[in-house]
Amino acid sequence: MTVINAKAKDLKTISSKLKESLNEDPIEVKNASHLHGLVAGLKHGEVIIQGNAGDYFGVLNAGATIRVTGDVGNYTADNMTSGTIIVEGNAGYGAGQYCYDGTVIIYGDAGDFTATMNKGATIIVVGNVGDETGTYMLDGDLIVVGDAGENFANFLIRGNVYIGGKWNSLGHNTRVEELTHEDIEKLSGYFQTYDIKADPAEFTKIVAASEKPFYK
Amino acid sequence: MTVVGAFCVSVNREVCINSRMPGKCATCAEVCPHGVYALDAYTGEMRIRNYNACVGCRICAEFCPEDAIRINPAESEYLSRYPWTLATVEEIHYKAQTGEYLLRGFGTQQPTPHFDTITVVPSQIASPEPRDKYREECDLEVVIGEGTCEKPLHLKLPFVWPAMSFGALSKEAKMALAIGAAQTGIATNTGEGGLVDEEMWLARGYLDKDFTKKEWEPGGYLIIQWSTGRWGVSTDYVNSGDAVEVKIGQGAKPGMGGHLLGTKVTEEIARVRGIPVGSDALSPCRYYDVQTLEDMKHMVDFLRDVTNYQFPILFKLGPSRPYDDVAACIELGADAISIDGLVGGTGCSPDIVTQGVGIPTIACLPPAVQALKDSGVHRKVKLIALGGIRNGLDAFKAMAMGADAVGFGSAAEIAMGCRVCYACQKGNCPYGITSQKPEMRARLDPIEVGQRLANFIHACAEEVKILTMLSGHNGISELSTEDLRAMDMTTAALTGLKLAGYDRPLSFWEEGYKPVAVKANDN
Ligand SMILES: Cc1cc2nc3c(=O)[nH]c(=O)nc-3n(C[C@H](O)[C@H](O)[C@H](O)COP(=O)(O)O)c2cc1C
Ligand code: SF4
Ligand code: SF4
Repeated sequence: MTVINAKAKDLKTISSKLKESLNEDPIEVKNASHLHGLVAGLKHGEVIIQGNAGDYFGVLNAGATIRVTGDVGNYTADNMTSGTIIVEGNAGYGAGQYCYDGTVIIYGDAGDFTATMNKGATIIVVGNVGDETGTYMLDGDLIVVGDAGENFANFLIRGNVYIGGKWNSLGHNTRVEELTHEDIEKLSGYFQTYDIKADPAEFTKIVAASEKPFYK
Repeated sequence: MTVVGAFCVSVNREVCINSRMPGKCATCAEVCPHGVYALDAYTGEMRIRNYNACVGCRICAEFCPEDAIRINPAESEYLSRYPWTLATVEEIHYKAQTGEYLLRGFGTQQPTPHFDTITVVPSQIASPEPRDKYREECDLEVVIGEGTCEKPLHLKLPFVWPAMSFGALSKEAKMALAIGAAQTGIATNTGEGGLVDEEMWLARGYLDKDFTKKEWEPGGYLIIQWSTGRWGVSTDYVNSGDAVEVKIGQGAKPGMGGHLLGTKVTEEIARVRGIPVGSDALSPCRYYDVQTLEDMKHMVDFLRDVTNYQFPILFKLGPSRPYDDVAACIELGADAISIDGLVGGTGCSPDIVTQGVGIPTIACLPPAVQALKDSGVHRKVKLIALGGIRNGLDAFKAMAMGADAVGFGSAAEIAMGCRVCYACQKGNCPYGITSQKPEMRARLDPIEVGQRLANFIHACAEEVKILTMLSGHNGISELSTEDLRAMDMTTAALTGLKLAGYDRPLSFWEEGYKPVAVKANDN
């Protein structure tokens, strides 16, 4: 295993080291919490960050599997198109925004505007999420095991939102729907894969009330 | 729409096919974007049903097989009935009936302070001698990103096609722009609607995706736009061009996002944008993944990183507070900054925003240039002027005011055949420019139209050359405000240019542009 110590190094240096070592799976990076946009746009490989990571962690990820043992800053997994990002701690504001595909899993809590404009990724938060989570979601699955804040799933356009706990308020254009057999199977599949202790049958499913919420 | 009631349609019944043989021809009704003509379903006769809706585009006259139609301007209601002109009355009626505001395409309709009241100062005996256009060289090249990235852009001419999205434009129009850029060595831009694959090779002058068949010299560049909706954006997308442009705003709708209606999200657009067919594509008015300038700085950092530090990073601004906005872009590490004025065009915006929001293009330039000068980067960080640039004369004036290059948006549409009917938002463009309908798109041959675009660029380049040389310069980088004079007080007041005759700037401009710090929530 390659270990990269990012202490006092800049993004360009660490990023080029990462790209050089990409074929020797997996790579470990430590002392990287000061770097924003770390592990950006990789198409393959496995990277483990020991400790915390900064903002825009795993931005534009295009196939790599990335794990952080601590907390992450804001906008984690921004605009991901493929791959997996696992956060063992908490995430800041706007995790999983603008993603097209792949999986983001946050074992701790996530902040406001999580999964905004999700266009097809699977985003799982095991803890609680803040306000406006799932705003303008166009496709994909958002699974919140804990509770949500205000305006949950605001202006949902397409896609599925599942929540195990409560929400403070639901956003515009939302409708609570019965869980189907497929939903339960899908959820238990995720829970098994990511070792989450939760009962899928207890979840509430939220979908878009109308597929065209903006104009008649 | 301020042009409502401003035009009279007249049909010469002696040559009109329909008048002679009702039912035999309905061309005008089919092509008019504003429903001015209507065919009587029972008799087959053509009627002028909606006389006042005519916007004077003359599309019907162009398509009429017998050249039977004439469009004449009506007497201006601006003089006789202002402010309650027919256009205002009609607009209020429309709102009262529908509860909706007006949406339209293209740009401004009212007279707005613009380049026409600025004149070029030629060289005579007291200044450097004029240059000889036939014998002497004139340097028109512009380099973006020198010293900051591995592959700077060397634009052969000081022009770009600004961002125009696939979705607003047809695929064929996007291809034509790429071909036009390849033939002239300038840059085309994806716009915020994702990449049309063909742009990648056509813009560089190749006919095929493997880059083996070079068809057009010298080959141009492709700028990749990064925006708030992030349509079709991936690592591959940002690496598929030669530069990345971060869009903050545009002149026709500054402070607003975009909205491609679900009905326009065809299978192809859905594929390119990476979203379900028929779903609304809403581009937010701001980045949900940026809350502070610090965040934006990190965004620039990761964009440089993901593109391996090869490409220049550009910013695009709407016309707001040019001094502060440009200063912020410099701070963020921009290699070039486009500023789009109030006069800038659009595929679709609310009428009141296109018309009534933002700073005129000519008034954006002095503060923008001052910001560059105050940071010591004028002519290093390149300034690209957008918004109502129509020809080499406008381009020259913008460059003498301190821009390094200009972009042609609306003018490019017109070079492609557009006749300015302001109805782009309807998606029925009779020339296949702003339509996704196969029958309209079939009318636009990308190679033929690409050639028209290249011709237009070459002609404008010659115009810039003439003006540069007659004012005694060897290249556009030597131009300055001394090459211009304002011809009226308003222009002198808006731009700080010397007033013709008086040969000095107005007194309050004597010390140049003085920035006033913007305070947040300053009411
Ligand atoms: C059809 C059309 C589509 C446009 N799409 C975009 C876009 O996707 N992103 C953007 O930043 N500006 C867009 N613009 C604005 C242009 O990039 C440019 O700022 C403007 O056209 C310049 O003004 P001009 O039309 O007067 O030359 C669009 C303009 C038009 C006419
Ligand atoms: S096509 Fe244009 S010019 Fe002809 S009637 Fe319609 S709006 Fe007027
Ligand atoms: S692009 Fe087409 S629809 Fe738009 S103004 Fe021109 S002719 Fe009309």
